Amino acid sequence: MSTWLAVAGGLGLLLVLAAAAKGPLDDADPAYQRPGILDLGELPVPAPTVAQGLPAPGRAAVVFFVRPDQLKPLCDALQGIELHRQPDLAVVVAGSFGPCNAEATVVADPHARLADSYGLRAPQGGGAPAGYAVVDGVGMIRYRTLDPEVTDLLDEVETILRAT
Amino acid sequence: MNAARPATAPRVVRLCLWCVVAVVVEVGLYLSYRGHDARFHWFTHFFVGSAVALVVMSVVALRTRRPVPVPLVWLLVGHLFAMLPDLAFTSGHVAHQTWMDVFLGHVSSHFVPGRNVTWYLVFLAATACYLVVLDRLRPRQ
Repeated sequence: MSTWLAVAGGLGLLLVLAAAAKGPLDDADPAYQRPGILDLGELPVPAPTVAQGLPAPGRAAVVFFVRPDQLKPLCDALQGIELHRQPDLAVVVAGSFGPCNAEATVVADPHARLADSYGLRAPQGGGAPAGYAVVDGVGMIRYRTLDPEVTDLLDEVETILRAT
Repeated sequence: MNAARPATAPRVVRLCLWCVVAVVVEVGLYLSYRGHDARFHWFTHFFVGSAVALVVMSVVALRTRRPVPVPLVWLLVGHLFAMLPDLAFTSGHVAHQTWMDVFLGHVSSHFVPGRNVTWYLVFLAATACYLVVLDRLRPRQ
């Protein structure tokens, strides 16, 4: 019996430690971060325009939302990558930005208004969200999530694109 | 008393081996998630899968009148069943769909009020249930 109680107590301790390890860019409610399912909650909803012709009718799009320091790593990761359905790519930067060597439309969004219009949730630490939204060929947002590590998790974007 | 030792020692070794296997596999499952996911999804599916396994273990123990063998493996199997859609997501590019709730509420279990704290309490209740059953099966003096 003592072994079972030790296991149960140890798991409780691990749960507390895990909850404390959340980063400032993570979603305050982890259930909504990288849920892996399309059309969660009120989705799908029409996607606001990021730039002229984006999203474009008949073409899927991925709209990334990043902090300025995340732009270069993301652009490097996107360079040469071939995502399913060859979506249009947009990177919305919460501030000023430098060059991006990927084939993506980069726009500034210093007050995170575009991120708000896409319905991205506020990160736990406040400020502009870091994540992405996937838009289908008829201009509807099918997936949106905070994901501060998206640069290393582009295969998840690929999985979501395959499902749209 | 001495005659029982040779039979008990190998049983303990065998049980410990299964414990090591179960713990190693659980660490592997944790690492199969990445970043934030590991800290949330692993716990949800572990607690849900293990709680169901503990209830099944309690029923089996009551019916057979003895504790189930290699109990940690039962928990592992429950966990694996609950997280199958995540394995499909990471290894097969299969996004989640609502029907995947057949895997012990794989999608909707994340959205219960209280989140993982709720599932931890459910896990504790299921553990208590199994321990009560074990206590009832213990021979009385």
